[in-house]
Amino acid sequence: MFGQANVLAQGQAEFPPSVGDFYLPSILPWGAENSYWFTKITAMVWVAVGILIIFFLVSYRKPQLVPTKRQWFAESIYGFVRNNIAVDMIGHAGVRFAPYFTTLFCFILLTNFFAILPFFQISPNSHIAFPAFLAVISYVMFNYVGIRHHGFVKYFKNSLVPPAPWYILPLLIPIELFSTFIVRPFSLAVRLFANMFAGHMLLLVFTLGGFAMLSANVWLAPVSVLSWVMTIALTFLEFLVICLQAYVFTVLTASYVQGALADEH
Amino acid sequence: MAGDQKPPNTGGSGDVPSGAGQGWTALSYLIGGMLVWGFIGWLVDRWLDTGGVATGIGVVLGMAGGIILVVRRLGTPT
Repeated sequence: MFGQANVLAQGQAEFPPSVGDFYLPSILPWGAENSYWFTKITAMVWVAVGILIIFFLVSYRKPQLVPTKRQWFAESIYGFVRNNIAVDMIGHAGVRFAPYFTTLFCFILLTNFFAILPFFQISPNSHIAFPAFLAVISYVMFNYVGIRHHGFVKYFKNSLVPPAPWYILPLLIPIELFSTFIVRPFSLAVRLFANMFAGHMLLLVFTLGGFAMLSANVWLAPVSVLSWVMTIALTFLEFLVICLQAYVFTVLTASYVQGALADEH
Repeated sequence: MAGDQKPPNTGGSGDVPSGAGQGWTALSYLIGGMLVWGFIGWLVDRWLDTGGVATGIGVVLGMAGGIILVVRRLGTPT
């Protein structure tokens, strides 16, 4: 946002925002123009990791029977994920996955929330790399869990061979293979990425559009104001999307784990 | 299919993924079915030069397969 603020101040914001707006320059004082080793996005990811580690360490350091406000907050996040996602989707066996789901949920929620947090204002998840890696972790995890629970052959037999007469199996097995082992990681990653990308793009369009109209013609000022009001409204919508996507990612991961653990279909 | 290997009072809904998971599973079966068999049909088209007939048959077959899968995997346990 610092870069954007400068650009706006110099009155040279190019109006139709492009994908280039997602590639922020390196924030290391040294280093070349085209070094992308440490950008604002990278910094935000580490900040999110740091915040989460410190927050949970501090709030659980001296747990009390009557929780303090911070402890209550941490406990209710964990309790929410544990009861409403892990146990709800997987059943009793889900409790052992609750720590991972909580980490996943908090990390996605926080990094998504950076999209509307002043001075951060872009989510790392609007770069496909981060959702893709989270999806890879979930993918490896549910397959590993399934293989360990059933054994290699039985796991793949369970997930590839649906309960159907033998003569339609050749029709069904490729679909199962495609939807279970190829579509799942992609849809997880792309859903989160596309939502955060589109959200950032929308906010950019309405913010920069206001400036563009203002500098094109002073008589358009009321429309510019309308455009900025829309930005504020969309920020609230974005908040909804942020929470929803963090929840959906976690719920789907839980559902895949459940599917991997499920017995005979 | 119902959770006969689990304690009856887990609060979950047995082996059927609940809520959102179930919806996404159904959607991915339907779309996946059409894509997979449509693609196979398209390959057959390229191979035999049939000009799109095989793709059409593939998509319809795939959709049928997707529906069968949704019914078998997510339908009411019998």
